[in-house]
Amino acid sequence: MSATTITELEEPGRRFRLRHVELSWARAGQLALRVGWWIALYGLALVIFGAFAASRHVDPIAMYRAMWEQTIVSPYGLGQVIDKMAPFALAALAVAVPARAGLVNIGGEGQIVLGAVGAGGVSLALGTHLTGGAAIVLMMVAGAGAGALWAGIAAALRLAGGVNEAISTLLLNYVGADVLAYLVYGSWKDASGNGQPASKPLPAADYLPVWGRLQAHIGFLIAIGAAIAIGIALRKTRWGFKLRAVGGNPEAARRAGLRVKVLLLSAMLVGGALAGLAGAVHYAGMEGQLRPGVAATFGYTGFLASWLARHQPAKVIAAAFLLASIAVAGNAIQLSSHLPGSAVNILMAVVLLAVLARRPKLVRA
Amino acid sequence: MFGSHAILVTVLAGAVAGGTSILFAALGEVISERAGVINVGTEGTMLVGCLAAFVTDVQTGNAWLGALAGIAAGAALAGVHAWMVVYRNASQLATGLAVMFLALGITSLYGAPYVSSNITGFVQVKVPLLGDIPVLGPMLFDHDALVYVSYGLVPATWWLLFRTRWGLLIRTAGERPEALRAYGVSPARVRTVAVVLGGGFAGLGGAQLSTALSLTWSESMTAGRGFIAVALVIFAAWNPIRALLGAWLFGAAITLGNVLQAHGYHVNQFVLDALPYVLTLAVLVLLLRRQRQFAPEALGQGV
Repeated sequence: MSATTITELEEPGRRFRLRHVELSWARAGQLALRVGWWIALYGLALVIFGAFAASRHVDPIAMYRAMWEQTIVSPYGLGQVIDKMAPFALAALAVAVPARAGLVNIGGEGQIVLGAVGAGGVSLALGTHLTGGAAIVLMMVAGAGAGALWAGIAAALRLAGGVNEAISTLLLNYVGADVLAYLVYGSWKDASGNGQPASKPLPAADYLPVWGRLQAHIGFLIAIGAAIAIGIALRKTRWGFKLRAVGGNPEAARRAGLRVKVLLLSAMLVGGALAGLAGAVHYAGMEGQLRPGVAATFGYTGFLASWLARHQPAKVIAAAFLLASIAVAGNAIQLSSHLPGSAVNILMAVVLLAVLARRPKLVRA
Repeated sequence: MFGSHAILVTVLAGAVAGGTSILFAALGEVISERAGVINVGTEGTMLVGCLAAFVTDVQTGNAWLGALAGIAAGAALAGVHAWMVVYRNASQLATGLAVMFLALGITSLYGAPYVSSNITGFVQVKVPLLGDIPVLGPMLFDHDALVYVSYGLVPATWWLLFRTRWGLLIRTAGERPEALRAYGVSPARVRTVAVVLGGGFAGLGGAQLSTALSLTWSESMTAGRGFIAVALVIFAAWNPIRALLGAWLFGAAITLGNVLQAHGYHVNQFVLDALPYVLTLAVLVLLLRRQRQFAPEALGQGV
């Protein structure tokens, strides 16, 4: 309960002011406590991961110094983190929107891959006929469309067949990976390449523009823009309000005359489009080529980022930044400590488990 | 010499051998979900089972000790999941994925030195007489020891769930936890035991994968088998016997592509790879309306 609601109930006068000041102090204390909690939580995660590293004869202090210096502090590292943050944040929004309607989208992996395939398909089809900004816009639109289509399959299975969307999106991840493999081992394989299963590289003019000293592509602007747009859509529009109503109590929403199926479908399609956009951004910003395993685990990471942010669009950006810096730090530990890069998944998991474990216990009647 | 008969036999035998790791994990997931807890971290639980069994086998040369280590590692990791979802009331799906990432990290960290190690592992044992039956012999009775263990574990799991007091407690924890509480049994404790037991099963599945089937260790070698096991449980309507059929079906789909190509047939590998997943989705659509009634009522909810 906020201070203002209390003061409104109080009689005006001296006592009111005192109460107000007291409450503000209490709130400041609460805030300090919360910040303290977060610091302790991340500190704990670092200690646990440090212990893991130490068990493999790696000096944790030196490892953390390398991680810090090669991610946040160096302009090149920070640029890489921001490059990764973009698809992570979009993939997290792809979880957050359906979550508002009570849907679980674990299909980010597949939707991202399809988004990359959509963008890649457009770029291959356009060839040199159309390049630059127009080609980029078309790639983004195609990526979002392909992602929405992939999520739409799961939505259709749920609405028409009653198949749980958590399971169907999970299964469709593997089908999506096979679609990509089918294409890059087959008709989309670059004939003039070195025999690797990969598509023809993107023309230099079709890459997302690079921004400033950090050399980060503008994907992060797309992600931040999407987070703001989704935040407004969920909070300020009737659609957002209705989604929350459906997510809260579908039966009540149906009785109130809301078209629950249309709303669920729209939430899933928007989610899929966001994940598809993540794939397109990663393709046109970083990879420039389709290959098997492109953007692997981005979808699951996005799922974790969304939970880390408790499905709040504004916090999603921060969570995606955190997870992106951990992911990029994987390269640092590989070089400096000779540990496998995927070992940083431990750090990612411990942070998340610590946050999830803080969820207050539900009160049962 | 490569007649259709030979292909059939190879695919059937491969279905059983390749499906066994999924079967163990699916049996574990049946127990866990019957108690009301979904564990998508099964992918990770299998993975730690893979590594623990493999490393133990490398160090001791004893495949059975390896299998035990796999069970222990799987149970320990599932213990993390159980503590989170039962005692901290964390989201089951999010925790499961976080646990999967934890397993990915731990196994890549400790598995790196073992990537090129060799083991003897579990050897193929042909059962006398039964192994000589045409088709059925090579399909069912010419396998590694853990496959035979799975034959025993399927009816044992069914019996545990449906014919013992323990099974009744587990199923009640998944249907009506509050009834269990009224009866004087802690649903939290029952769920914890079920999840940890299920993790042990998945760990054994991982052990079969690394020390009987592939005889190697590589990063993320489970390649989605744990997720398949989770989907399979719905397919199997939370019934251990039907989980057996489903797991073998997956094993067949995984084997079919390799076998057909080895015999010179031109099939598209990726269509075959996608087949098990598409098949599961199709089955879920076709069966689910009838199936939904089998789902434990309090599945996914806190206690």
